[in-house]
Amino acid sequence: MTTRRDFFSRMQDGLLGTALASLFARDGLAAEQRVYDLTPKKAHHAPRAKAVIQLFQNGGPSQVDLFDHKPALAKYAGQPPSRDLAAEVRAVRQTGGLMPSHYKFSRHGKSGTELSELLPYLGKAADDICVIRSMFTTHLAHEAALFLMHGGRILPGRPSLGAWIVYGLGSENQNLPAYVVLDDPKGPPVNFTQNWQSGWLPAVYQGTRVRSEGSPVLNLNAKNPDPAGITDLSRTLLHKLDSAHRDRHAGNVDLEARIANYELAARMQMAATDALDISKESDTTKEAYGLTDERTASFGKRCLMARRLVERGVRLVQVYIEGQIWDNHNDIRKGLEYSCAKTDRPSAALVRDLKDRGLLDSTLVIWGGEFGRLPIAQDPGPTAGRDHGPSGFSIWMAGGGFKPGITYGATDEIGYRAAENRVSVHDFHATVLHQLGMNHRDLVFRREGRDERITDEFPARVLREILV
Amino acid sequence: MRFAFLLASATLLAPAATFEADIHPLFRAKCQGCHNAKTASGGLSLESITQVLRGGKSGAVVVPGRPVDSVLLSLIASGKMPMGGAKLSEPEIAAIRSWIENEERKPPVAERDVQAVLAAKCWVCHGRREKQGGLDLRTREAMLRGGKSGPAIVPGKPEDSLLVKRIGAQEMPPPKLQEQFSVRGLTDGEFAKVKQWIAEGAAPDPEQPVQVSAVNDPAIKAKDREFWSFKTPVRAPQPRVRAATRVRTPVDAFVLADLESKSKSFSPEADPMVLLRRVFFNLTGLPPSPEQIEAFASDRAPDRYEKLVNRLLESPHYGERWGRHWLDAVGYVDSEGGNNSDANRPHAWRYRDYVIRAFNANKPFDRFLTEQIAGDETFDFRTAPDLTTGQLDLLAATGFWRMAPDGTNSTEQNFIPERMDVIAGQIEVLGSAVMGLSVGCARCHDHKYDPIPTRDYYRLVAVLTPAFDPFHWLPGEFPCGGVGAKCDENNTRYLIPKAFSEYRDAQAHNDPVNARIREIEGEQEKTLETYRARLAADKGIKEGKIPALEEAYPDFKAARAANETRIREERAKLKPLPLVRALFDLGPEPPPTRILHRGDSTTPGALVPPGALSILSAGFPEYRDQPLAHSSGRRLALAKWLTDPRHPLTARVMVNRIWQHHFGTGLVSSAGNFGRMGTAPANQALLDWLSTEFVRTGWDIKALHRLILTSTVYRQRSSPTLGEGDLSAYPFLRIDAESVRDSILMLAGRLDTRQFGPADKFKVQPDGEVITEEGKQGGRRSVYAQHRRTQPVSLLDAFDMPFPNPNCMRRGHSVVASQPLHLLNSDLTRTSARYMAGRIMDVAGDDPGRQIERAYLLAFARKPTADEVQASRALIDGAATEWTRQLKAELPAEPVASRARWMGLASLCHTLMNAAEFLYID
Repeated sequence: MTTRRDFFSRMQDGLLGTALASLFARDGLAAEQRVYDLTPKKAHHAPRAKAVIQLFQNGGPSQVDLFDHKPALAKYAGQPPSRDLAAEVRAVRQTGGLMPSHYKFSRHGKSGTELSELLPYLGKAADDICVIRSMFTTHLAHEAALFLMHGGRILPGRPSLGAWIVYGLGSENQNLPAYVVLDDPKGPPVNFTQNWQSGWLPAVYQGTRVRSEGSPVLNLNAKNPDPAGITDLSRTLLHKLDSAHRDRHAGNVDLEARIANYELAARMQMAATDALDISKESDTTKEAYGLTDERTASFGKRCLMARRLVERGVRLVQVYIEGQIWDNHNDIRKGLEYSCAKTDRPSAALVRDLKDRGLLDSTLVIWGGEFGRLPIAQDPGPTAGRDHGPSGFSIWMAGGGFKPGITYGATDEIGYRAAENRVSVHDFHATVLHQLGMNHRDLVFRREGRDERITDEFPARVLREILV
Repeated sequence: MRFAFLLASATLLAPAATFEADIHPLFRAKCQGCHNAKTASGGLSLESITQVLRGGKSGAVVVPGRPVDSVLLSLIASGKMPMGGAKLSEPEIAAIRSWIENEERKPPVAERDVQAVLAAKCWVCHGRREKQGGLDLRTREAMLRGGKSGPAIVPGKPEDSLLVKRIGAQEMPPPKLQEQFSVRGLTDGEFAKVKQWIAEGAAPDPEQPVQVSAVNDPAIKAKDREFWSFKTPVRAPQPRVRAATRVRTPVDAFVLADLESKSKSFSPEADPMVLLRRVFFNLTGLPPSPEQIEAFASDRAPDRYEKLVNRLLESPHYGERWGRHWLDAVGYVDSEGGNNSDANRPHAWRYRDYVIRAFNANKPFDRFLTEQIAGDETFDFRTAPDLTTGQLDLLAATGFWRMAPDGTNSTEQNFIPERMDVIAGQIEVLGSAVMGLSVGCARCHDHKYDPIPTRDYYRLVAVLTPAFDPFHWLPGEFPCGGVGAKCDENNTRYLIPKAFSEYRDAQAHNDPVNARIREIEGEQEKTLETYRARLAADKGIKEGKIPALEEAYPDFKAARAANETRIREERAKLKPLPLVRALFDLGPEPPPTRILHRGDSTTPGALVPPGALSILSAGFPEYRDQPLAHSSGRRLALAKWLTDPRHPLTARVMVNRIWQHHFGTGLVSSAGNFGRMGTAPANQALLDWLSTEFVRTGWDIKALHRLILTSTVYRQRSSPTLGEGDLSAYPFLRIDAESVRDSILMLAGRLDTRQFGPADKFKVQPDGEVITEEGKQGGRRSVYAQHRRTQPVSLLDAFDMPFPNPNCMRRGHSVVASQPLHLLNSDLTRTSARYMAGRIMDVAGDDPGRQIERAYLLAFARKPTADEVQASRALIDGAATEWTRQLKAELPAEPVASRARWMGLASLCHTLMNAAEFLYID
């Protein structure tokens, strides 16, 4: 029996390895080869969460309008920003003064979590969520901030958090992709597929884009299928050829895995179709996710699919939202009202639904974007917006062992900079991995003679005070 | 516990310690052995309060007023310092704590710290290439001289200094230009630094560049130089072996000697037809055609294999295949990466073509490398009256330096740190692809495993800064779209080869076309004015808008549309101007290069001169640059240093790459890391013999191929269970991504063999699949397909085509579910199978036996067994029956039988494309 440590210490260069998505247990021979597959792996410690659903809010939701109530902004309305804040503005020529939120905040539930009136449904789930108000990132461009949020550095080409997770844990269901990405048919996020790539981790760990409409996985079926019956005939010959070829090359693990993959391809057609078939859900559930309302139907459908997927053992589901709808550079009122109308109800419904099904304990829900927005106006006037704000922003987590009904950390008086209990993106990564039973320092991949980690060599801390 | 408490309270009561009275004597006694101004261990001197406050290599060691944050105190209190000496006593430690608590002096601001701020925020307009208002802010002297409005600084008087006034009023850097030039205003901290430096007298840094010579850098110990890969390879005599009859070339002797020492030997020779398929894929990336198989099979000459190897080395497909291996190593891509737009690199293909041509022409590797590193420095391209194709090639070759991911075309990602990242990417490529070392690690700290000090990394940066100037960064687009830095012919990373005939021809062709376009536009404008006047006269509406005019006057609308069509037609006639994406010197006065602590451009350290790696600098000529009339000569000196026959790594790394692409694994399996953390060579004697032989033959790549391919070691039978790097058999390998696609096209008879030129565009299908556009003759080889970082061709991606960030030394090799999905269901394989079937019928006629035989020859380069013929017939017949049924139902008026037979055969072809035997090489 090899321990996990032995396994890692035997690995050399990631890209040198043989990645396998085999369903079969390895024989002695295979143990000598480096094997990268999706079979379930042992965690470093007892996990709190088994699966993650990340509702990724690309574009940068405005914390002072949604989660981070700043009455002081009203007091300073219109005043010019400090030199430090001004030096962090992206669109310098459009800089305006401090701008209070247009929205009222109130306290919800027993916890008294303070939320904006734009989030009425989330308000009802306030006692189940943990709001972090003190996140910060280090770059003000979407691309770089997304690279950091997903890959741990502001540079492209690194594995995403999801790829690390399935690399470390594998998956509970071998008939479905371990790491599913449900992007919005209305348009992909900035950085597109780079958000879920496996970088230099083997390709078997990259996110699989599953379409919520049409054929769910690329080339899962032929566009113009042959007449019925031909597939079986063809498969019979293929099996004959491949079996004979494998017998001539006895002991080669690649060939075993390849044959298994052909079987998986066939099974995936069934499994994916079943997992994504939301017609089997009750009307009440559909109603709760807002499928009957045009505004919420699309995001709601993907949230519901996410639940169905984690129910079936998928390790990680990322749900994206059309283009950059939180990127409200102008007319932030119109933008926020549109985005919240789309996402508030399904997001809250997902938390509720997981809880009702007893899945919330073992499923971590993450809601947030790559950064927040500045408390000053961009293009001042009635249709003012807000520019990117990397220095302080809010996200929320639910389930997966995060304390429910709490608000953690704080920004400064005007909601510009994370001030108390600052949480870096590396802290966030370390904490998510911790809940899944992994230590971010031990989840390593050796590449070109160096141990790589999601947190690299950055200081990173597990946020124990907000964990159950 | 109690003792510490008492001490702490005692210090509170006692008078505060001062540096001069209490601490300085202590440091002198206990610390200055190492931390004096001369030795300055860790960059730290404790000789004066100024030096103490300035800190060391890793920044401040004392934070006045904050003992807790002062590294000096924590190192002393924990006993880590004095290193090797006794721990200081508790009262001594308490005194240090008390001094820090009460110290009020701020660390002095050094000129370099101010320069770091001004460089990032001001130099773009007041520096090397621009001196707005006559002002240059690069040196203290230039600041004192000032510009049109007078001196920029008045030492000792920040309030009287124009620099401070303009920055203070937030007039500089001008808010209107900040976005365009990727510059931001100064933060409070930065502004305070500038003011403090002036207030302290604007003292110059009395520093000199690092004077440590690379040859005897004290950071490198004699023992370090003993590591195998840092020593020049030595040619060992050919070893004696027992199975001498198996030795065809010296390569065999070295391999066999090693095998025999492990009680192993060579495997039997592979079947000639297996070898044929192996060497075809290996040298050209394509399978042999049935005619080529037949020709080889019927050749009775004893040297038919050697002749075949020679023929394949002369094939134009050879360069396409082996050029692609080099393109992996340097990270060639047709898009910039780094940001969401992932902008195209429209002229990058000239570099790709240069590489393919160089391999086909068997350009000696030392020349090949020199041209890529410094082609622009080898002649004065600016004054050359006529550029020859060869000279244009020399410029295109420097595209080598333009391959790293580069998001700086976005104004939001074009700040100094991102520019440094681009340079770092290129140094990483140079390090891994050429030197086999992870030099990039030394950007932020001395290399943890290899003897590469940080200053070596910055020596390489200094080699590049005359061309890669982070403070005068050239835009990646030309003509520039949207906002960008200053964009004109003198500010672009494209060379505009006006002295090149192709350029002149294109220009001559375009001039009259452009004239006609201007003429039509003039007409368009005139018509508009005419109708505006009419509208004003008819309805009294002045400055009528175009839609209104079009509605009012249909003939205006028609005339306008006709003119627009004409403009479009004329534009289509324009020939693209040949631009060269290159790296070249930007003129005199390159910026000073400083070591950046932790790689951070806001914490500059000592100045470093250009140079090469210290560990590789002993025992053969040092890096030495000689300024040229038209260039700094620094990259040429680097090339000269790298291609010296005694260089320990250049030949080894290339020889290893060639070995890796013949056997799947290099003799050093970590192809990009020959350092301590890399893998030791499986057979160093062989690697070194080959490296010296490579140099001896004048860096002849094809000679090296011949040597390897004609050896017994290459001709062995394959083994499915061979361990990595085991040479007692040939490994069992999967063909790579390009070979998968190109072979499918070839089987279909749809491989368009036209070479070179702009990349074939990609297309996104409605279902999200990314494919490469094909023409009437089919698809060109995948090396010519547009490779983008964000939208890789789906099929190639599934088969491990790399995302180079920044490059790829060895491809992954995965077995994932998307592979069967593509091969089973993609339009490419399904359509290709039908073409393949049609072509087989053209050649083999209606006889199913001959059809099946040809299908197997095409796909597997062998004839089918009787059993396979039978099973294949069952598929063809069964599928034809299914098709007959369906066609009769759907198209009752159409002829059915021949079509059903064709589709039946297509099902066989499709099945063969999915078979493992098609994807693997024995």
